[in-house]
Parts: sequence; structure tokens; C-alpha cells
Amino acid sequence: MLWELIRAGLIALQDYIALHVVTCLIPAFLLAGAMVTFVSKETIIYYLGATAQKLKAFALAAGGSFFVAACSCTVIPVSSGLYYAGAAIGAAFIILWVAPAANILALTYTGAILGSTMVFVRIIAALVMAFVVGWVMTVVFSSPSPPAPLPSEGEGSRRGEGADRRKLIGRADVTLLVLLVISLLAPNYLVQKGPYWAKVFVWAIATVIVFSYAFWAKPKEELKRWMGETWWFVRLIFPLLLAGVFVVGVIGKLLPEEWVRSALGGSSLGASFLATILGSVSYFATMTEAPFVDTLMKLGMGPGPAVALLLTGPGLSLPNWLAIARVFGIKKAIVYVVTIIILGTLVGWFAGNFIF
Amino acid sequence: MKIEILGSGCPKCFETERRVQKVVQELGLHAEVIHVSDMMEIARRRVVFTPAVAIDGEVKISGHVPTEDELKAILSPR
Repeated sequence: MLWELIRAGLIALQDYIALHVVTCLIPAFLLAGAMVTFVSKETIIYYLGATAQKLKAFALAAGGSFFVAACSCTVIPVSSGLYYAGAAIGAAFIILWVAPAANILALTYTGAILGSTMVFVRIIAALVMAFVVGWVMTVVFSSPSPPAPLPSEGEGSRRGEGADRRKLIGRADVTLLVLLVISLLAPNYLVQKGPYWAKVFVWAIATVIVFSYAFWAKPKEELKRWMGETWWFVRLIFPLLLAGVFVVGVIGKLLPEEWVRSALGGSSLGASFLATILGSVSYFATMTEAPFVDTLMKLGMGPGPAVALLLTGPGLSLPNWLAIARVFGIKKAIVYVVTIIILGTLVGWFAGNFIF
Repeated sequence: MKIEILGSGCPKCFETERRVQKVVQELGLHAEVIHVSDMMEIARRRVVFTPAVAIDGEVKISGHVPTEDELKAILSPR
């Protein structure tokens, strides 16, 4: 029995990791590293603080968090830091939601494992939920005067204001990012049915192009920083991914198919709600939600609940609730979590009934 | 000299602290190195991107793990 379970875990590792390392994981980590290195987060934040219009701030927060953090450990300080620096509460919570629910690494991996329709739905759903969450937080908590910013200590606070007005991103950096995206998509979309070596071949050509351009266009120092950031992502996320995928394999073996089918099958509100709760309570390291959802779908989970789980899995977890409550206060945490659970349920139900 | 590492307790923050300790030793500085992990305190300092390094209360580095050269540049006595 134990041996069976270990074997299931190992098979999952082979299916979800080994097959994806070269053509999906390596380019995705390179892209994430490049985003962190070359896109000026400070500029995004600067404009976010300067924007008075709510809708614009919301859009900026949602779009910006796509670039800001792909690692969940950094997003709470980003969001709370912004909030206490005077940014709108809606924008702060949008970042808190979008960064983990729809970051580049998770989206790429979702695409590789679950297909492009699922990624598309995931992005749209995450953005729609982001705007509603931002709106709800604004309506419930907006006071006539902005939330008293915490008194800042020392002169360090004022120093940054002028320095943050840097360019968002240089032209060479844009080209590099686009090339990276192509190197990520090309192997999987040009060679959809072909043998695996054909994918690797396309990947190799694309990667040579990316690095030739990088060496030609960028100074050595920045390339070094890029590699450094990429290596950080690998170091932080890869072990969690390995462990997570192994656990997914074991769980898939343990769960009786009838249970999954009856509890999470179809696209009823109930199934969607259950998937949302499951995702909201348990902790999924970024990217692990994709193989987990794939495993559950093979056991009979419906596509609607799958979407709900994909979003809330990495987006919320019990430890995450506690951290939010500590930083933002219990009231805001409760409103946020309840809103996400309601929205997740509705989005799952809607996607299951009208999209798939 | 007071050196503070601001971070939520993530691996990047520990790596930053390790490098700071190393550079402090190499330069033979008398410095007090503190790890600030309280989110409210981090917000109060207006630090948005962790890990950050503050020297005598002034935030010098934010948003990435500094290299040893970078640390030497800001820690060397002027």
C-alpha cells in the first residue's frame, strides 16, 4: 500500500515536472526573473500612489501586480506597505488578490498542463474578481478622509519620492521580454502534436535567439542580476513544486473517484462552493494548484469548480487569512475573505455553465 | 551603527541577513544587526518591497537581495 502511494507520487513527478522542465519551467522562470529585474516596480507603485481616479488605480494595480510579485511571501508587505503609504484600499487588496491568483509562473504552468482555454478563463476571472473586490473594499471601508497613514519614522520616507519617478521599462527590455514570451509559447504551440524532441528543438532555437539578443543589447551587470533573480525563483519555488506534485500524486491515488465525482462533479453552485472553500482554506504553493486541479479533473471534477479551485487555491489560505488580519485588521480580512469566497463560487458556477 | 534587515521572514531576507553579517565581519564594523519582520513596522518605514536594508534608520536597499559589493559600498565608513 505504502509502496503504491510512493509510486503514484513518483509518477506524478514524472508527468508534471520532468515533461515540463525544458519547454515550460525553464522559460517561465527566466521570464519571471526578467520581469523582476527589468520592469521598474518602483515606477508602478509611484503611479499607483499618484493616481486619484479609482478606476485607473484599479486597472494599474491589477495590471501591475502581474509584474510585481510572483512569490506569495512578498505580496503582503507590498500591499500593506502601499495601503499605509496612502494608496486606496481597493488598489491594495487588488494587488493582494491578483499577484498570487494570476502571476506569470502559475499562468504558464496552468497553460502547459490544463490548456489555453483554462488559462484564458483564469486570467479573465482573476481580473473580474479583482475589480469587484476592489470595489467592495472601497464601498465598505472608504472613509471621508483617507485612512490615516502611519506616521513614518526617520527621513527615509521622504527620500524615495523623487527617486521613484524612473522610466517604467526600457525599449531593449521590452524586446527581451517579448522574445522570452515567444520562447515560452513557441515550443508548446508550434509543435502541438509532434514528438517531444521537436518541442525541445524549437525551445533550443528560441532560447539561443533570446540569449544572443540579451548579450547584444544588455550590459553584463544587468544580465547577472537577471540570472540571479531567476535562480531565486528556482530556489524558492522548485522544491515546493516538487513536494507539492508528489503530494498531489499521492492524494490522487487515495481519493475515491465516486467521492470526487459526487462532491465536485458537474457545475452546480454547491460543487463550486465546495471547491472554493477547499481552495480558500488550504495552502497551495504557487504552481502546485495546476497539477492538483488536473488530478481532480481526471477523477471527475467539473471544469467550473476547477476554475474556482485554480483561483482560490494559491490566492487564499488559512495562514494567509491570519497574516491579512494582522496587518489590515480583522474586519477588513473578514470582508475580503467572504467576498472572495462568494465571488469564487459564482465565477466557478458561471464558467462551468456558460463557458465550458 | 545600526543595520536593520526588513523582511517578512522569507528566504530572501535570511540570505540578505547572512550577507550583511559577512560584510560587517569583513569590514570589521561595530554594528548591531537586527531583523525586523513585523509587517506594521515595515509599513511604518514606507518599505514596499522586501527585503530591505536600513542603516541607522535610513532605507538604503529595497526589493532585492543585495550583492556583497553593494553592501560594501554602503557600509564602508565614509
